[in-house]
Amino acid sequence: MELQLEAVTKSYKSKQVLKGISLTMGAGVYGLLGPNGAGKTTLIRILADVLRPTNGRVLYDGKDIRTVGDEYRAKIGYLPQDVRFYGDFTGRDYLEYSAALKGMEKARAKKRIEELARSVGLWDDLKRKCAAYSGGMQRRLGIAQALLDDPEILILDEPTSGLDPYERIKFRNIISAYAEDRLVLLSTHIVSDVEHIAARIMMMEYGTIQHIRTGGAYVQMMEGKVWLEEMPAEQLIAYQNRAVISNVRAKGGRMEVRIISDTKPVPDAVQAVPTLEDAYLYLFNYLPERAGR
Amino acid sequence: MSLFRFELRKLLLNRKTLLLLLCLFVLYSVVGLTSTVFLIGGNDSYRAYEDLAAGWEGPFDSEKAAEAEKIYQEVSARYGTDARMIARSVKDRPEIILAVNYHAYAERVEEYWNGTPPESAEEPYGIALLQGKLAELKRQGKQDASDYRELSAALERLEKLGEPEFVGALLWENLFNNWGEHMMQFLLFVPLTFVIAPVFAVECSSGMDNLILSARYGRRKIVTAKLLSVLAASAVVVALYLAATFLFGFLPHGSFHGWDAAIQSIPTYARSMFPWKVWQLAAVGAAWLIFTGAVYSLVICLISSRMKSRMGTAGVSLAILFVNVGLAAMGDTVTQRLGALVDFGLANVTLMKEVFGGYKGFNVFGMYVSYPVMAAFVLGVVSAFAVLGVYRGQRSRTVQSM
Repeated sequence: MELQLEAVTKSYKSKQVLKGISLTMGAGVYGLLGPNGAGKTTLIRILADVLRPTNGRVLYDGKDIRTVGDEYRAKIGYLPQDVRFYGDFTGRDYLEYSAALKGMEKARAKKRIEELARSVGLWDDLKRKCAAYSGGMQRRLGIAQALLDDPEILILDEPTSGLDPYERIKFRNIISAYAEDRLVLLSTHIVSDVEHIAARIMMMEYGTIQHIRTGGAYVQMMEGKVWLEEMPAEQLIAYQNRAVISNVRAKGGRMEVRIISDTKPVPDAVQAVPTLEDAYLYLFNYLPERAGR
Repeated sequence: MSLFRFELRKLLLNRKTLLLLLCLFVLYSVVGLTSTVFLIGGNDSYRAYEDLAAGWEGPFDSEKAAEAEKIYQEVSARYGTDARMIARSVKDRPEIILAVNYHAYAERVEEYWNGTPPESAEEPYGIALLQGKLAELKRQGKQDASDYRELSAALERLEKLGEPEFVGALLWENLFNNWGEHMMQFLLFVPLTFVIAPVFAVECSSGMDNLILSARYGRRKIVTAKLLSVLAASAVVVALYLAATFLFGFLPHGSFHGWDAAIQSIPTYARSMFPWKVWQLAAVGAAWLIFTGAVYSLVICLISSRMKSRMGTAGVSLAILFVNVGLAAMGDTVTQRLGALVDFGLANVTLMKEVFGGYKGFNVFGMYVSYPVMAAFVLGVVSAFAVLGVYRGQRSRTVQSM
């Protein structure tokens, strides 16, 4: 199974949101990271076939998804960024309606709804109206919906927003267990969501995918670029305007500051072990600032 | 649950819409009831009317006509010439109501024999008038012309139907008025608009488009399910109107008198070319209203599939309805100029008295086609256009962005 983007562009009037993205994805978990307005949701929507590219095409196993049509959509599970519900639908109604839309057989749908409701922790709430669900419960219901027909391609847009830390870990475990032999594309702002489960991470900015690497490669790229420095709080306020700081921690009346920099920022700074979050800040904050963007 | 059942639930079988339907049923019942109550006084007056009418029913009687004319002249001098106004003014005088109705019947008989005035803009009607026109065409040697064929067919039909007979079918007249006047279009089609409008627009406003459009059945099968649910919802709303006005139109007096009379006995249908009984017209009229309601609903469905909100859809749909009603209400000179636009506009084709109450026909490639057949064809084409438009729209539909 292969999903391929060929020079995909998307424009709204004069604004180009996607700029000729070409990409090939096979089985595995792909993380899509990028700042707001990078074009992540637009790209996700095109892959979910709810939005059409202005130019270029998306190929599924070499065939244009517009030609494959229903059969392509039968293979995808999609969790949109903003999950909404009909006011009078219960959780069960929502999942049954989703199953009907996916063309699932009644008995299989019933079984899957039970399995997924239990695994996302909504079994006891299925009879309640979706509108009465908390944000986290609505998100979990959306995740169950996306997984319902056991899709070959799972497209998730901000899947963990609104989930508490335990739910996020649980979600990651579900996805990891699920991902074998399937393609999972996970768009998020939360670096830790993809850090542990994504085989490849795409960094997207200004409508293009700037980098595709493994998490380890990003971390390796950051070797020698992450520094720790202790300074008083007053100094920090002035300092943070001229440096990219990834973390600040109070330590014995002083501040331990984690700085992203190609060179040693201050004479007594010491090197720190880099993380994926450091790489994110380096690519989307440090480099653009250096380039004067 | 199948997609159709879900769509039906979203459109019709939900608490809000069921509450609306309940309110509509009450409204329609009041319409049926009040129209009957204003028709004639209490039950005693109606019984007396029916008893009196029994002696007057049957073929035209010139003595009775003269008697009725005398009474009519007296009451019209006092209450005006409008039969409904007279009836409301003398609700407890069934003998006067009967005389006024017989007077109107006598005029219809006169029209049957002598027809519309030659200068009338209406389609030629009446035995003598048709004979005269045919003789003139014959003199001009136009026996092969389509006009000649149409007129002779009209004459043949008229002769076959025979002179109308008098029947005291007050309650049926009232029912057909409720089913076939402009007020019905507002009472029925305005609520129908609000019931159908959300069918597609709700997906956009609720944000469910994302789920639907990315699903296997989100481009085609869902359209079929939605269209079927629209047809079912439309049939339910129209049936509610028909049932309530029927039930509460007849209930106060508990009589179906006149049910097997010829429809030409009903004033509005005196010129009808159909050899139907009153009950048959009621059945055909009900079916026609359900059919036209379905066509209008499909048009709303098409609009809904192109709009972002249910209120926008309702606004455009109502604008179409009101423009049609407005055009149909224009004077003869305007409606004749607009021709087919009015004939096959929503306002005219949804009125059963316009479709089945006349004798209008169309010359289609030299072939005479009656108005109901032509109207059914045009509505069929409109429906097909709407359905194709909805399918095409859903195929290329995308979520709202930016």
